[in-house]
Amino acid sequence: MKNALALVAVLALLAASLIGFSGTAQADEIKMVGVITKIEIAGKDAKSATVTLKDNKTENLVVLTVNDDLTLDKFKDHRIQEGDEIRCKYEVIDGKNVSKYFRKTAGC
Amino acid sequence: MKHSVTVAAVFLALGLASLPARGAEHPGKEALQKNGYHGSESCEECHPGTSAAFLETVHWKHASKVTNVEGLDPTKEYGMQNRIYVMCNGNDIVNNLKEIPKSPETGKTKFSGCNTCHPGNHLSDVGSTGPEAQKAVDCLVCHSSDYDFRQRKPYKDSEGRVVMGQDRSTKAALSISKPTVKNCMVCHEAAGGGVVVKRGFSFTKETDAHAAKGMVCVDCHKAKNHRMPTGLDPNNWASDGLLVSCADASCHGLKPHKDADLNRHTAHIACQTCHIPRTGGAFAKDFTVWEQGSDKFYEPTTLKKEANETTPVYAWYNGTVKNTPHFIGPKGSRQDGKSRITPFKIFQGKAFYDATSGQLLSMDFAPPMANGDTRAGVASAARTLGMKDPEKVAKNAVPGWQTIYFGSNHLVTKTKSLSCANCHAPNGILNFKDLGYSDDEIGKLTTPELYMKKLIEKQKEDW
Ligand code: HEC
Ligand code: HEC
Ligand code: HEC
Ligand code: HEC
Ligand code: HEC
Ligand code: HEC
Ligand code: HEC
Repeated sequence: MKNALALVAVLALLAASLIGFSGTAQADEIKMVGVITKIEIAGKDAKSATVTLKDNKTENLVVLTVNDDLTLDKFKDHRIQEGDEIRCKYEVIDGKNVSKYFRKTAGC
Repeated sequence: MKHSVTVAAVFLALGLASLPARGAEHPGKEALQKNGYHGSESCEECHPGTSAAFLETVHWKHASKVTNVEGLDPTKEYGMQNRIYVMCNGNDIVNNLKEIPKSPETGKTKFSGCNTCHPGNHLSDVGSTGPEAQKAVDCLVCHSSDYDFRQRKPYKDSEGRVVMGQDRSTKAALSISKPTVKNCMVCHEAAGGGVVVKRGFSFTKETDAHAAKGMVCVDCHKAKNHRMPTGLDPNNWASDGLLVSCADASCHGLKPHKDADLNRHTAHIACQTCHIPRTGGAFAKDFTVWEQGSDKFYEPTTLKKEANETTPVYAWYNGTVKNTPHFIGPKGSRQDGKSRITPFKIFQGKAFYDATSGQLLSMDFAPPMANGDTRAGVASAARTLGMKDPEKVAKNAVPGWQTIYFGSNHLVTKTKSLSCANCHAPNGILNFKDLGYSDDEIGKLTTPELYMKKLIEKQKEDW
């Protein structure tokens, strides 16, 4: 087993150097966990939605703009709904909190 | 059937094959509109026998006979229904859907159970049979593109029984098609305890070459009578007895490249090795200690990454599986003539082991979810399974780790596929020594002699 582990570690280093995948982490992203209090989306063909989350830590209401198709689709068919707890990352662009990552927290 | 073949042919001819399936209208729509949708019976009128056949599949039984894994009873069925491992340390039986005890801090409860990822209504549960079960099959969860997921959640009926809700509206039944990616992802996206947890399995145009071409799950997983073809993931034992592989003649075959140098490698190296260079999801979980979330409920401690953020481990694999309390993974060798070098997502989980037998124990998540008491979860599971003296089993249980190799069969790339130097450079991704090559051979496998000429040509082209 030691071998396999060592291999994994080596691989992790190597892959970083050999395969030039771009990292996803970005410096100016803000992370938050909170519960959805409101979803506003204009119909089936909407290309963006406005979602209000209550930050678990601060209890502040944070308004986010969500643009990615996968998440929008989950609003439309209610796979994500009010009351769901969300783990999200967002960036402030032109004064708007634009969501970069929006996932339901879920356990085993 | 003829109908849909002609339709498909016309689509192909027009070059529209990548349009969503909902373009073609379901011939039963008018009848459904007129008569309403009353569950699978409404489909039976025109698709007789479908529900009965469905009850025989892995998607209903969460189990099947398993022939490629060591140490199993060939007469028994295995799967999510009854297995015990450390990605999710329970199964449908010990984690049957129920209300968990109230949180001592908030006084709140919630529903939890593994068998929510099942197209029954829980009254007709995993593996149930007979007419009631047939009527309970949720055809629309896989076939409707207009499903309201607010309906698909557990609730208590007037008799206090826990029921898994379904969208049985006529509206949903008017948008019937072959299953879309979304239909399959209702359950597959969050397998293992959350989005991309088990495999980092994301199927989007950014993460998968086939998704980028507009392909959907069932373009490869072509079901017959609802039996779905699958592969030989060392950790997905149950199967409907049908196989799908990248090298199937109907897909790519064993010589898919113009470059003979690449084709030569397919005899010893799985397609996935070069075309799925990355993986993702959870890489370690601790079921012996749970972490409290902001809602005051507890969850297993989990370390995880996104899709394509971790690297696989490589091993020879001949399709048979080693299965011990501390290891589940591929068997194979360079010599057996049947193995290929194959990538796996590696995962390690900590859970409790039986002090006397050394076997891995399972856990009912309800107690630890409410109050963090993981040994109470072990006791409850032991009781459900009829073990002798469950309290003692739990008290004496010994924490330990299990390592699991998961198949890595999606997240396919062409542009980032491995090229000569990724493997044949001295710091290549393969550990030739561990894979059974001699020092002499390794010398020959790690010289630029093998690829210098070719890559120089390529470099010229690139500039
Ligand atoms: C009035 C008859 C009728 C009813 C009721 C009906 N269907 Fe169909 N369905 C058809 C016919 C005809 C076809 C085309 C021939 C075939 O593929 O079997 C079809 C095709 C299908 C297909 C294949 C679609 C494709 O694009 O390949 C699916 C899936 C399907 N039906 C599901 C259902 C489900 C689920 C129900 C119940 C909600 C249902 N049908 C009810 C007549 C009906
Ligand atoms: C969100 C849906 C979902 C939930 C909830 C879920 N599973 Fe699964 N599980 C899946 C899917 C999908 C697969 C098969 C595909 C895969 O492994 O990626 C699977 C496979 C498994 C397997 C392997 C089965 C085999 O054939 O060998 C086990 C064991 C398992 N799950 C255990 C559990 C346990 C224990 C729980 C509850 C604590 C659970 N699962 C909850 C979706 C789910
Ligand atoms: C777990 C998902 C799932 C569920 C639940 C499900 N189906 Fe399907 N169904 C499929 C898949 C996958 C196919 C094959 C699509 C393909 O390969 O083109 C299919 C195909 C069909 C077809 C086309 C003919 C055939 O057999 O290939 C019909 C009709 C159909 N399903 C009806 C039903 C009915 C009726 C129910 C409810 C009793 C149901 N399905 C439940 C996944 C599902
Ligand atoms: C209602 C939840 C659910 C839906 C919807 C669903 N699956 Fe599954 N699927 C599961 C579970 C749970 C398992 C694992 C069962 C086990 O191994 O015991 C599984 C296993 C599988 C397997 C491996 C076992 C086998 O049957 O070959 C394949 C392949 C698969 N699913 C493909 C699909 C595809 C394709 C779709 C969409 C048409 C789909 N699934 C939709 C829950 C679901
Ligand atoms: C391009 C073809 C292709 C597409 C598209 C595809 N799969 Fe697969 N899938 C495969 C192959 C091939 C295997 C088995 C490979 C092997 O084990 O050799 C597999 C294996 C699986 C397994 C078994 C566990 C594992 O990961 O090995 C599940 C479950 C599964 N696929 C579900 C899905 C779902 C759900 C989708 C859609 C989101 C999907 N697949 C899309 C080709 C495909
Ligand atoms: C030794 C590594 C390696 C193996 C093994 C391998 N491939 Fe490839 N494959 C590549 C590379 C490198 C490319 C070229 C990518 C490019 O052109 O940018 C490629 C390209 C492809 C293409 C695209 C061809 C084209 O002309 O666009 C397909 C399809 C393909 N591979 C399928 C497979 C299948 C199926 C297997 C298994 C039978 C397989 N490959 C095994 C490395 C490999
Ligand atoms: C995924 C890793 C991988 C990639 C990528 C790869 N190879 Fe290989 N190659 C191997 C392995 C492993 C062997 C030994 C196979 C065996 O045991 O027969 C091998 C064998 C060879 C051999 C035979 C050497 C001998 O002494 O028998 C040649 C020549 C070769 N590779 C050239 C190439 C070239 C050229 C490329 C790029 C087009 C390439 N390889 C890409 C892993 C790789």
